Amino acid sequence: MSGFSGCPGSRMLEFQKEDTPEGAAEVRIASQLRQWPIQLHLVSPAAPYFQGADVLLAADCAAFAMGNFHNEHLKGKGLAIACPKLDEGQGAYVAKIRALFEEARINTLTVLIMQVPCCQGLVALATEALRGSSRKVPVRYVVASLQGEVLQEDWL
Amino acid sequence: MERFLESPIKELIDRFPALGTILEEYGIGCVPCSVGTCLLRDIVEIHDLSPGDEEELMGRIAAVVAPGQAVAIPRSGRDRAAAPRNVSYSPPMRMLVEEHRRILRFVALIPALTADIDVETGKGRGRILDAVDFIRSYADRFHHAKEEDLLFACFDEGLAILKAMHEDHRRGRACVQGVLDAVARRDAGGVARNLAEYREILTEHIRKEDEILYPWMDRNLTTRQVGELYARFREVDETFLEAGERYEAFVRSLEGQYLDAVAEVGR
Repeated sequence: MSGFSGCPGSRMLEFQKEDTPEGAAEVRIASQLRQWPIQLHLVSPAAPYFQGADVLLAADCAAFAMGNFHNEHLKGKGLAIACPKLDEGQGAYVAKIRALFEEARINTLTVLIMQVPCCQGLVALATEALRGSSRKVPVRYVVASLQGEVLQEDWL
Repeated sequence: MERFLESPIKELIDRFPALGTILEEYGIGCVPCSVGTCLLRDIVEIHDLSPGDEEELMGRIAAVVAPGQAVAIPRSGRDRAAAPRNVSYSPPMRMLVEEHRRILRFVALIPALTADIDVETGKGRGRILDAVDFIRSYADRFHHAKEEDLLFACFDEGLAILKAMHEDHRRGRACVQGVLDAVARRDAGGVARNLAEYREILTEHIRKEDEILYPWMDRNLTTRQVGELYARFREVDETFLEAGERYEAFVRSLEGQYLDAVAEVGR
């Protein structure tokens, strides 16, 4: 039995990785970010890059866990990031996502979360926003492991 | 083996009947398909078997088409592992599947509807024409138009699987024309035969779309395309809103009249 009984989202883990050998070719991966700001409290649904866009709502940790986050998940999308565990004022998040549906008239929303239970809160916020929205939009969710592998993806 | 992969499945099954049984074992139901123009390569790809199952299936097919010969067993052409087998539709596909449910509810009533066909009275003919109106307006103009004009347009129209779906639609339309011609001739048997054939075509057609075609399309549509299809389907729904309610009421009223027949189908 594990000696840890607290929140899985805060559980300490270490992943053993081999360092890249000296002199090995390192590929520079271009950023696919095409806007600023990105934090959900700060983004504006009126911004031109959200109008009719495919939008990615990513948990704060996701980009660090996923080695190819930019090319596989961010490319071609508008971005907002949030943490459903630590961020305050999450009622405003629901209103903001709803404004993306109704005012920015986004094409789709992809919610990218980590496998830890608290991250499901981000999907819950998107679901609540969609339920209250007068305009329906396809919402997809992707669940990533702590090592950045996609564990599950589906449409709400 | 390569040339067999590029052959229409019906030709292969006609030449090697054992292939039909083998395909059935892997959940590939090509034997009852009345079109059969899909290429073996496309069929294996579209059914998205696991790499292990696909290799085993190809080996068994090779043993039938080239017995005793050492043949290289090609993969279908997919370059990724199979997705999980549970079917989960994207929102636009879900809309089409919901429409299928309504069409199937109507189609299930056809045997009861045709049991006491009356082509002699205006009232009897009116009942047949109401059914034709449902097929033409709801199943065809509304639902099939969404597929043909919007969904299929996202893919290469030259794909054998899409040609097969178009052919099913064409055959369904020919049956409806057959019903109308039979009504004009006061030919009750002709009405019943054409409606029965329509039922057979649509039941099989919807099964192919729900179980095979739509999941394959969902795996190949981009997120962008899913969003655009959903928005355009909703635009079509809005223009058809009142008619949609009317056709739901029509199917409900038929179910009310033929409740026993529906129960029989459900058993």
